[in-house]
Amino acid sequence: MSVKQLRTEEMLINMGPQHPSTHGVCKLVIKMDGEEVKYIQPHVGFLHRSIEKIAENRNYPQFVPYTDRIDYCASMNANHAYVVAAEKLGDVEIPERAEYLRVIMAELNRIASHLVWLATFTIDLGAVTPFLYAFREREDILDLFEMTCGQRLTYNYMTIGGVGWDIPKEFEPKLRQFLKIFPSRIDDYEDLLTNNPIFLHRTKGVGVLPKETAYEYSVSGPSLRGSGVKWDIRKAEPYSIYDKFDFDIPIGTEGDAWDRYKVRLQELRESAKIVEQAIDGLPGGDFKKKVPLTWKPPEGEVFCRIEAPRGEMAYHIISDGTPKPYRMKIRTASFCNLQVLPIIGVNHMIADLVAIFGSLDIILPEVDR
Amino acid sequence: MGLVKETTSGIYNLLLGLWVTFKHLFRKPVTLQYPDERWEMPERSRGTIVLLSDPETGELNCTACMLCAKACPVAAITIERKKDPETKKNYPTLFTLDTTVCCYCGLCEQACNFDAIKLTGKYEFSVSDKSELLYEMDFLQEIGRDVKYVKKKKAAKKAKKAAPKKDTGEKSAEKPAAKTAEEKKEDSNEEDKAKDKTSGEPKEKGPEDKTE
Repeated sequence: MSVKQLRTEEMLINMGPQHPSTHGVCKLVIKMDGEEVKYIQPHVGFLHRSIEKIAENRNYPQFVPYTDRIDYCASMNANHAYVVAAEKLGDVEIPERAEYLRVIMAELNRIASHLVWLATFTIDLGAVTPFLYAFREREDILDLFEMTCGQRLTYNYMTIGGVGWDIPKEFEPKLRQFLKIFPSRIDDYEDLLTNNPIFLHRTKGVGVLPKETAYEYSVSGPSLRGSGVKWDIRKAEPYSIYDKFDFDIPIGTEGDAWDRYKVRLQELRESAKIVEQAIDGLPGGDFKKKVPLTWKPPEGEVFCRIEAPRGEMAYHIISDGTPKPYRMKIRTASFCNLQVLPIIGVNHMIADLVAIFGSLDIILPEVDR
Repeated sequence: MGLVKETTSGIYNLLLGLWVTFKHLFRKPVTLQYPDERWEMPERSRGTIVLLSDPETGELNCTACMLCAKACPVAAITIERKKDPETKKNYPTLFTLDTTVCCYCGLCEQACNFDAIKLTGKYEFSVSDKSELLYEMDFLQEIGRDVKYVKKKKAAKKAKKAAPKKDTGEKSAEKPAAKTAEEKKEDSNEEDKAKDKTSGEPKEKGPEDKTE
């Protein structure tokens, strides 16, 4: 009996929701032909907490702690998106020092978030060492956050009207120390990974995301830039004070997993550059403007988007003049980015699917909200 | 030719990676052996919530003004209060904190005007029974006894002590710098409203009736 006569059939496999490489609780229903993936259907919603509905029953300042939970790897950026939107809605002017502090924190959190991505992505591919190194650097950033606002993950740092706490005395020397050593640490990751033959084989040409597909599915963030599109809200539609800083937008060429890796590593350097400029130019003065608990923005609606580590995060708030929003829609990058997985993941080995999923940097609480 | 080039570059880059890990052999380890060693928690650390007492008299600073209960986004705080007929001061008869829902956001501490509630760097409060996570007033006071704090809101405190007539009027009169007119109104309104209640049902839990 030859191989051709053997009866073969496609096999349906549930990958997740308790699979370690799905980074949370995402379930992928996969049709397999041998080792090859033929069809992918992501099932989301395991982590749904109806945050948008909760927002309708909370006062505006009370909702800030909930934004932390939308994206637990980059809470500062989620905070930032919300407060920028709310301030736009209520026309709140905030002190300049607060803007600078916000940018410092948001960029530090972008670094921390990318480091988590690097750690988990490489451990998905079987490289354990970068995981340890990346978490070591992230620890420094979390220490900085902890001494400023007292928490390591759910910061509740930015408030409507400024930031909750000023930075303590010991913050600046520690931050400068971190900025001094950080570039050499990125070089370490590059030495470990960038030209490593195993890493190259696992990522080069894997999960190619063409520009057009990225447009069609409104992919954003580093995944989009990896495909060679120069689109970053910080440059295209500067919010906060990002127009004051000098930084580049790294882009890839092919749109494969390796390009997305390269873009994120480059973004680590760019973010460190922004933090350095911001801490140099940090003005004195007030760091917050008091906004009462029963703050009432005028009637109307606002749409505001920012560049979070995973892409565009946007808030659409409709106010009816009461202390609680009438409706709040949250657009998160991971939800849109996950939609391209069934397109770019097919016709790959199942091990490559893990690499592709990792390279898109999906975070599940952001998908489900 | 390509194969040779690929092989040499592969070997070189593998060795480069190994060199990076080799260098780390001589670095100081960053791991802390937890139960034996502990990090010093930063001053602002937002861990377990405690109720602060006056270091001199040993009594709670809390005046049961309900501001923390109102500020809490998850309604974790329940307060009941009574009025002392002699001093005309309010004091809490019941103060429970449901740590199963508490999200440690610190909004209660920010709302408090009397240095009464604080998030501290204390940790390790695991229990084997969920019901023990409902902290009562005595327990919260006990774990807060050794917590040092700076009296930030001295003015408000002094006003409260000097004339124990009406919390609201005094407070807003004594704090002209920090508060805007609108806020004063807000605060006194809230406190007046809270006064009418005897039991603290902090905030409406059910969904609002909205026209949707």
